[in-house]
Amino acid sequence: MTRKIRVLLVDDHTVVRRGLRKILESTNDIEVAGELGSGLEAITAAAELHPDVVLMDVSLPDLNGIEATRRITAATPGAQVLMLSMHADEQYVLASMAAGAKGYLVKDVDDQDLLAAVLAVCAGQTYFGGILGSTRGDGHRSPAVLSARERQVLAMISSGHTNRQVADALGLSINTVESHRKHIIDKLDLHSTADLVRYAIRHGIVN
Amino acid sequence: MGTIRVLLADDHTVVRQGLRRILETDPSMEIVAEVGDGRAAVEAAGRQRPSVAVVDISLPSLNGIEVTRQLAKATPETKVLILSMHADEAYIQQSLKAGAKGYLLKDADDQDLLKAITALHSGGSYFSPAVSKVVLRGYLHESVESADELAGLSDREREVLQLIAEGKSNKDIAHLLDVAPSTVETHRKHLMEKLQLHNTAAIVRFALRHGLIQ
Repeated sequence: MTRKIRVLLVDDHTVVRRGLRKILESTNDIEVAGELGSGLEAITAAAELHPDVVLMDVSLPDLNGIEATRRITAATPGAQVLMLSMHADEQYVLASMAAGAKGYLVKDVDDQDLLAAVLAVCAGQTYFGGILGSTRGDGHRSPAVLSARERQVLAMISSGHTNRQVADALGLSINTVESHRKHIIDKLDLHSTADLVRYAIRHGIVN
Repeated sequence: MGTIRVLLADDHTVVRQGLRRILETDPSMEIVAEVGDGRAAVEAAGRQRPSVAVVDISLPSLNGIEVTRQLAKATPETKVLILSMHADEAYIQQSLKAGAKGYLLKDADDQDLLKAITALHSGGSYFSPAVSKVVLRGYLHESVESADELAGLSDREREVLQLIAEGKSNKDIAHLLDVAPSTVETHRKHLMEKLQLHNTAAIVRFALRHGLIQ
């Protein structure tokens, strides 16, 4: 009889964590070794419990999920970390992987994805869920894909300036500004001006 | 004894499915609908007439507070329990004004969720302790409400505002609201005039500032 996969659950939204626990415990292959709401406690718990998988929310109240991942993978290399997040920003995904996480899930995946992800990372595979092809127009690409000029144009458009105002301020023709806008939308995999503005605010490009 | 018929509305699928399993541990509860956006919540409530609707405050298409407002008119027998990450004073006030009977923070545990639903079903209310503090503070200090710019808009104008900020085209919005694109254009013009917003970027920034979108 193969032993069950032991999972440590880390999320400070208790009711969410309890729900995830029920999903995990609904299968015969998985058992929840512990559940916590703190990144700091997760590091200690991982070292004590030696779970196969740590399912961890990126945003935690004390130590953020990515830093906790770094420390856990260093101290308890047998524990595979699977990140859980509301967003799939390229920066968070890359930072998580750089910190040693084996997988990254967005919260709008379903229970089957969650279970598949746990099994996959436990087996040493990487798993990404819900990151590509998001229909919400949130934009998962990093601002680093934009040129300096494109970033300027993005900042001004998102602050509410008209094409004419952007053109005048940057010494460009309106056609050029419009062309920049199209490139920005394509590069960031977005669909509209509204998407651009939300993206710019989320990434701190404007206030 | 009748069962408590519950509607679940949260756009984070795995979170919503987890909440469902929590409810399934209570034999007195029956989940009659499970949806991922505000518009679907209102439609499902109209069809299923649940006793309690558990509504995440930030839903796409129609946010939780608007859902509350619409359910108060369309299915007044449905008691709304707002689910939120934060005990934000403005959101709490608006939720209560819209008719919500409960406000639960996500750091509540599974038993609190079941208690809250049961309380609302019986005609009572339920607030997480941190939320009660905020509500009391509001009463005791008689905090002056800042002029609510959104209150000056019609229901339709508020709906169109959220959809524009979410990046939907006029055509999409017309389809969702089942009206002509010219009607959407009129709503857009009016709301921009009332709120003194001059372009789409300004609309998005306004929507973000007022928590209509995340």
